[in-house]
Amino acid sequence: MKTSLKKGLSSGVIFGIVFIFLLLIGFINVGSTMIGDLLGNTASGRLPVNNLLTFLAVLGVLTGITARNGLGESQWWQALLGGLVAGLVSGVLAWLAIWLTGTLSLQGSEIQTYLPNMDPADLNYLRFYSTPLAAANTYLLYFVGFSVAGAALVWLLSIKGWFVKCWQACRNGVSNWKGTKDLSDVFKNRWVMLVIFLAVAVALYFLPLAWGSYWNYIMGTVAIYVILGLGLNIIVGYSGQLVLGFGAFFATGAYTFALLTAPTPHGIGLNLWLAVGGSVLVSTLTGLLLGLPILNLRGDYLAIVTLGFGEIIRILIKSDLLTAVTNGPKGVTNVGQPTWFGETFNDVNYMHLLMLLVLVALFIAKRLKDSRTGRAWVAIREDQTVAQATGINTYRSKILALMLGAAFAGLAGALFASRNQFTGPEDFTLMVSINVLCIVIVGGMGSLPGIVLGAFVLKGLPELLRELEDYRLLVFGALLVVMMIVRPEGLWPAPRVKFDKPAEEPMQDLAPEVKQ
Amino acid sequence: MLKVNELNVSYGAIHALKGISFDLQEDEIVALIGANGAGKSTTLNTISGIMRPDSGSVVFEEEDISQTSPAQIVGKGIVQVPEGRKIFARMSVLENLEMGAYTLRDKDVIKAHMAEVFEVFPRLEERQKQLGGTLSGGEQQMLAIGRALMASPRLLLLDEPSMGLAPILVEQIFEIIQKINAEGVSILLVEQNAQMALSIADRAYVLETGMVALSGKADALMENPEVQAAYLGG
Repeated sequence: MKTSLKKGLSSGVIFGIVFIFLLLIGFINVGSTMIGDLLGNTASGRLPVNNLLTFLAVLGVLTGITARNGLGESQWWQALLGGLVAGLVSGVLAWLAIWLTGTLSLQGSEIQTYLPNMDPADLNYLRFYSTPLAAANTYLLYFVGFSVAGAALVWLLSIKGWFVKCWQACRNGVSNWKGTKDLSDVFKNRWVMLVIFLAVAVALYFLPLAWGSYWNYIMGTVAIYVILGLGLNIIVGYSGQLVLGFGAFFATGAYTFALLTAPTPHGIGLNLWLAVGGSVLVSTLTGLLLGLPILNLRGDYLAIVTLGFGEIIRILIKSDLLTAVTNGPKGVTNVGQPTWFGETFNDVNYMHLLMLLVLVALFIAKRLKDSRTGRAWVAIREDQTVAQATGINTYRSKILALMLGAAFAGLAGALFASRNQFTGPEDFTLMVSINVLCIVIVGGMGSLPGIVLGAFVLKGLPELLRELEDYRLLVFGALLVVMMIVRPEGLWPAPRVKFDKPAEEPMQDLAPEVKQ
Repeated sequence: MLKVNELNVSYGAIHALKGISFDLQEDEIVALIGANGAGKSTTLNTISGIMRPDSGSVVFEEEDISQTSPAQIVGKGIVQVPEGRKIFARMSVLENLEMGAYTLRDKDVIKAHMAEVFEVFPRLEERQKQLGGTLSGGEQQMLAIGRALMASPRLLLLDEPSMGLAPILVEQIFEIIQKINAEGVSILLVEQNAQMALSIADRAYVLETGMVALSGKADALMENPEVQAAYLGG
C-alpha cells in the first residue's frame, strides 16, 4: 500500500509539473489542435473543446499508467489507489494552474508580458470559454478519472499475466507452424530468407517511385547520414576512439568532389565517378594525417583535439587564405551531377544510387567487424593496454580505423555535394559531427542495424514531426531523453556473439513449452 | 635468455628505475619482489615495450629489444600478463583466448594452443562461452594467464598474479605457474607476496626505490634476516 501511495504521489507530481510546463510554453493548445487534426475535428473560429478534453484524457491515462508501471501482479485496490493518488495530485496542480491563470487573465492582469504564451484568447480556450473555477474543476475531474482508468488498464493487462500468456500463445502458434521449433528458425530457412530479400529489394526499388520527391529528399539525407554513421561507428563503435570532428572528413569529401567537378573556381570538370574516388581518397588521407600525430592521445584529450580539428577545417575553407581554392564563404555551386547514358539523375535515380551505396557500405562495415582487424579494434576499445600485451599494434589499428571511417565520410560528402548541387562551409558545422555521433550512440554503438535505425530516428523523425513547428525540437529532445532512459545501450544494441547450441540435442528438449 | 642492463626509466620528472640490472636464464623462474613503488611493474612494462627506457638495454636472446614495439615483442615470445587481471570483460572466455593468439595466423596452431590451455585450465573450458567479466577473480586470473599462453611465449611476464585473490586461490595459481614453467616456459614474476614468490622462484631480486637492493637464490633470500624483516613479516 505504501509503495502504491509513493508511486502515485511521484507520478502525480511529475505529470502535474509536466502539465504546468506545457501550459506555460503554450503546448496544450498546440497538442489539442494536433489531436483535432488527427481526429478530423478541425475548427474554424472557436476551437472545439473536445480536442482539449481528449488531450487531457491522454495525459491523465499516462499519469495512471506511470503510477503503476510494470506488469507484475498486484491487488486491484492497490492499482486503483496508485491511480487515484496520482490523478488527485496532478489534478490539484492543474487545478491551481488553470484557476490562477484564468482568474488573473479575467482580472485584466497583463500576464502575457511575463509569460509570452499566456495569450488571453488561448487562456479562454483552456477555460473551455467558462469560469476559471468551473474549468479548473473539470481539469481535476479529468485527471482523477483518467488516471484511475490508466491504472486500471495496466492492472487489467497484468492480471494473472494473461497478457503475457496471450503473447506466448501467439508465439507458440507460429512456432508450431511447419514444425519449426522457434520463431527465429523460420528466418534461418534459406527460401524464407530469399523471399524476404526479394520483397525488400522490390520494395526498395519501388518506394522512391511511390513516395515523391519530398520524401526522396528526406530519405536521401537519411541515407547519407547512414553512411556517415557507419563511418563514425568504425572509429567510435568498433575501436572506441571518441572523435568529435567527424564533420571535417565529410567536408573534405564534399569539397574535393565539388572542386573537381564544378565549373568554378577551377573548372576541372573531372568524370563524376573518378571524382567520387578522389573524395574518398582525399578524406582517407586526411584521416591518416590527422591520425599520425594524435592517436597516441586517449579519451577526453582525443575528443578535444578532434573537435578542434573539425572547426579548423571549416574555418580554413571559408578563410581568405583559401578563398582562391575553395571559393570561401560563398561555397561552390553547380556541383557535378551523375548521369546514366546521357540522362541526368532525377530524384528517384538518386535515391536508388544512395540505397545501393548504403547497402555496399553496410556490407563493408559488416565484413570489417568480423575481420581480424575488427577483433583488434574491439580489444583496443575494451582495454588498450591489454590489447598491446596480446601483440596488437594499437597505433596502427587506430589509424586504420580513422582512415576507414574518414573514407566513408568522404563518400557521404561527395554524395551530399552532388545531390545538393552546392557545398558551402556552413554545411559542416559542429552540429553535423554531433548529429552523427548521436546517430551512433542512439542507435547503439557498434551495431549496424542500430546505425540505420538511429539515422532514421535522428534525421527522419524531425521531418515527421514538422507538424509540430516550433515544438519540434522540444518533442524530439523529450523523445531522446525517454529513449536513453528506456534503452540506455541504444535502440538496437550490438548483440554479444551468440554461440550455436550443440547440434546433437533433440529438438523437443529445446522447446519444452511447445509440448504442453 | 633475458639480460637487463642499467635500465633507467622515468615518468616525466619521476625517476622510477635507477639503473636496474638483472638476468634470467632459460627455464628459470625469477622473482622481482619489493614494496609499492619500488619499480617492479615499471620493469615489466619496459621489458614488454609498453614503456621506453631513457637509457640501458633489454637484451632478449642476444638482441636488444628496448626500442622494439610491444606488438613485435609479443612476436618474439615475450608475453605479459598485466596487473589486476585485465581481461576483456565483454568478450567471452573463448574470444579472450583467441585474442591472445592474435599474432598467430594458422588456425590449426591456434586450435592446438587452445587445447593446451584447456589442459592447464580445465575450468576455462567449462566456462568458454561465458563473458570474461562474469568470471570469479581466480578464474579471471586463470584467463589472463591462459590468454598469454595462447601466444606460446618462451618468456612469461607475470605482474602480481596473487593480487586480490583468496589464499587458497593464490596457492592454486602458483602451482599452475610452476606447471607452466615445467613445460619449458621461463617466467619473470613480479610479486608483493614475497613469501609465495620466493617459494616457487629459483632466484629473486629485491627492488627498493628503483634499484636492486639484494639478489640471490630464492631459498637464500628466504633465510636472509633483512628480507625476513622487510618482506616476510619477521
